[in-house]
Amino acid sequence: MIGSAIAGGFVGTLLMTTIMRGASEFGLTRIDLALLLGTTVTDNRRKARAVGYVFHFLIGLGFALAYGGFFAIVGRSGWLLGALLGALQAIFTGTVLVNVLLPVVHPRIGTPETAANEIALLEPPGFLMLNYGRRSFLVVLAAHIVYGAVVGWVVRV
Amino acid sequence: MHGASRQNYTGRSESPALRGHNECVRRGGYVPIEDYAVIGDGRTAALVARDGSIDWLCLPNFDSSSVFGAIVDAERGGAFELQPSIPFTASRRYLPRTNVLETIFTTDAGAVRVVDAMTLPDERLPPLRELARSIEGISGTVPMRWRCAPRFDYGRARPEIGWRVGVPVAAWRGEAIAVANWDAGTPTWTDGAVEARWDVRAGARSLLALATAYGDPLVLPGRAAVLSRLESTIAFWDRWSSARGYEGEWADLVLRSALVLKMMIFAPSGASVAAPTTSLPEEIGGERNWDYRFCWVRDSSFMVDALLRLGCYDEARSLFWWFIQATAFTAPKVDVLYRLDGGVGVPEREVDLAGYRGSRPVRVGNNAVRQQQHDIYGALFESAWLYSSGHHALDADTGALLGGIADHVCDIWRGPDSGIWEVRNGPFHFTHSKAMCWVALDRAARLAAAGEMPARHAARWRREADAVRAYIEGECWSDDLGSYTRVAGSRDVDASLLMLPLVDYADGRDARIRGTVDAIDRRLREGDVVYRYRAADGVPGGEGCFLNCSFWLVSALARCGRLDDAAALMERVAARANDVGLYAEEIDPASGAFLGNFPQALVHLALIDAATSFSPSAGRRSERKAS
Repeated sequence: MIGSAIAGGFVGTLLMTTIMRGASEFGLTRIDLALLLGTTVTDNRRKARAVGYVFHFLIGLGFALAYGGFFAIVGRSGWLLGALLGALQAIFTGTVLVNVLLPVVHPRIGTPETAANEIALLEPPGFLMLNYGRRSFLVVLAAHIVYGAVVGWVVRV
Repeated sequence: MHGASRQNYTGRSESPALRGHNECVRRGGYVPIEDYAVIGDGRTAALVARDGSIDWLCLPNFDSSSVFGAIVDAERGGAFELQPSIPFTASRRYLPRTNVLETIFTTDAGAVRVVDAMTLPDERLPPLRELARSIEGISGTVPMRWRCAPRFDYGRARPEIGWRVGVPVAAWRGEAIAVANWDAGTPTWTDGAVEARWDVRAGARSLLALATAYGDPLVLPGRAAVLSRLESTIAFWDRWSSARGYEGEWADLVLRSALVLKMMIFAPSGASVAAPTTSLPEEIGGERNWDYRFCWVRDSSFMVDALLRLGCYDEARSLFWWFIQATAFTAPKVDVLYRLDGGVGVPEREVDLAGYRGSRPVRVGNNAVRQQQHDIYGALFESAWLYSSGHHALDADTGALLGGIADHVCDIWRGPDSGIWEVRNGPFHFTHSKAMCWVALDRAARLAAAGEMPARHAARWRREADAVRAYIEGECWSDDLGSYTRVAGSRDVDASLLMLPLVDYADGRDARIRGTVDAIDRRLREGDVVYRYRAADGVPGGEGCFLNCSFWLVSALARCGRLDDAAALMERVAARANDVGLYAEEIDPASGAFLGNFPQALVHLALIDAATSFSPSAGRRSERKAS
């Protein structure tokens, strides 16, 4: 199961990253996950993106293992269940993870509390990441559903 | 009623304010715009009138709806008044090197010192936003009063009012405010306002704190915590000021400008608000009333330049990052302005408020965002050039983004636009817009040559820059005027042409530049201030002189080598600041009354450029590239 989760997580993250980057290029959103994640450790934009992509893939693999664990507990898997988990993860990401938790631990992202005595280099994502464009959440939702579906399809229990 | 109490100040005989230099007379409930000072925390700002009334505050952010909006509707807007309840005079200043306001009220019974600040958060569970008002008795025993009338949603919402553990609270939907008070009377709610009266004796200290919440529980602060934040806020602004390096002439005004600009940077994103107000009129009773609570790309190059000159490298980087992120969404097209959160689209609507001294409509949002304004591309590239000159490298994605925008400029510069002044009877072929397109392409080619941008199209950018210059020199010059013209083929001048030497389109000693500066000096200057143009612009009514144009004239004169003329004008325009060193967008040349939104970033940016124009190290912007 672990091997298939890693394989599914890798492919799922690959597709997810491609979808989000493509959506950015087509002007659907300003989300740049690699920059968001990478700037937790560096303020050099070039390095940040490289580091960010590594982080994103590691996180993708980690969530795939968690999905695998969930599938093992409930005793079933499949692309539909994976897609459902992906959708739930997207909602959690948009409402809590990126909106609330990431700004708390991210040293360079603004929050609604950031005041004149601090310097933010990145604007806060906002609820459902709407600060990055009105369609941002739809892009995130679609990308996570694809990710979950791939993981659910690859992982067998 | 709130309005009824303000009507008491309409005449000298009725006003508690006394006469003379420090008088504060309300007419119809309104004070002159120059009677306001601003306090802020990098997220929102409050306007404090000389008589101690906070007449403008949007919560939680600059671009949120107002909770105190008496400046645009004295009856229904809401205000937070604090003043002696007997006749007084008021003198005020900012505490040295801070954005903390001190007002001394002097009465026949004694004197009281009030210190107002939007406090900065600390680790002691601060409210989402906090406005502190500290009151100290200096002499005698002074009867004081305060009255807080919150009116959420631009005065349209009547809040639920009540008490939480003895603290008056008002709430509407997800918003709430509490007025914590210590030794400041026994408050009562009356007609939707909480108020109290008490006596302040010499040496006594009272405290009011407006704590706000938005979508989360109210934090009711303790007295020690508020005082601690007030002290740390003063200390922060003092430290920040100490780090500014400018020691040239007019240093006080430059520092005040730097402080107000820093205050108007929206800290959560790094964007800079053009002004913290909406719809303060360009003509009393007129309809030229606009919402400036957004970030204009145009202001960016001035802001980045000023921040770098003042040693604010972190703020400059934050602003530039914000611009790259915001413009990435619309690229290669660049919008005129963006929301402070980086979003696009700020639909303009009118809200049902009476307007400052009857100047309607009061607008929220700004339709200028829909216009084509080609000069903003020059501003964006000038920002990139200055940013990279400040020892910051552009990353590959930013370079590619800018490359696409430069290609777009090649495609559009031949078309007409609405210009820097956002005229509504255009579009026209504005000379200034063409010149800024030249700036965009010139800087793009320079950045490519410096390895900061992809050089694949650099030859095209240089070729098109030459074509823009040929167009300007051929179509936008008038031998009769001896000047560049406002638009191609016209016989008008325009103060925006003063920018040509400032952005290094041509050297200040060039004959055509000198002729243009002379023509503007002759035709648009009224005393020591400058009209932006005298042509029709598609909006009814008149306007005052634009103060940024006056400072641009100082800068242009200095670059033309007319340093004595520039210095003399600088002295006179500097004297036009209000008593705490702030400027509105415009001024009535005859009365000296401020007009338009207040305080305006562009004016303070132009002031910094003008003051530093006299420095030998000022140099040409385009040559400031770091080695």
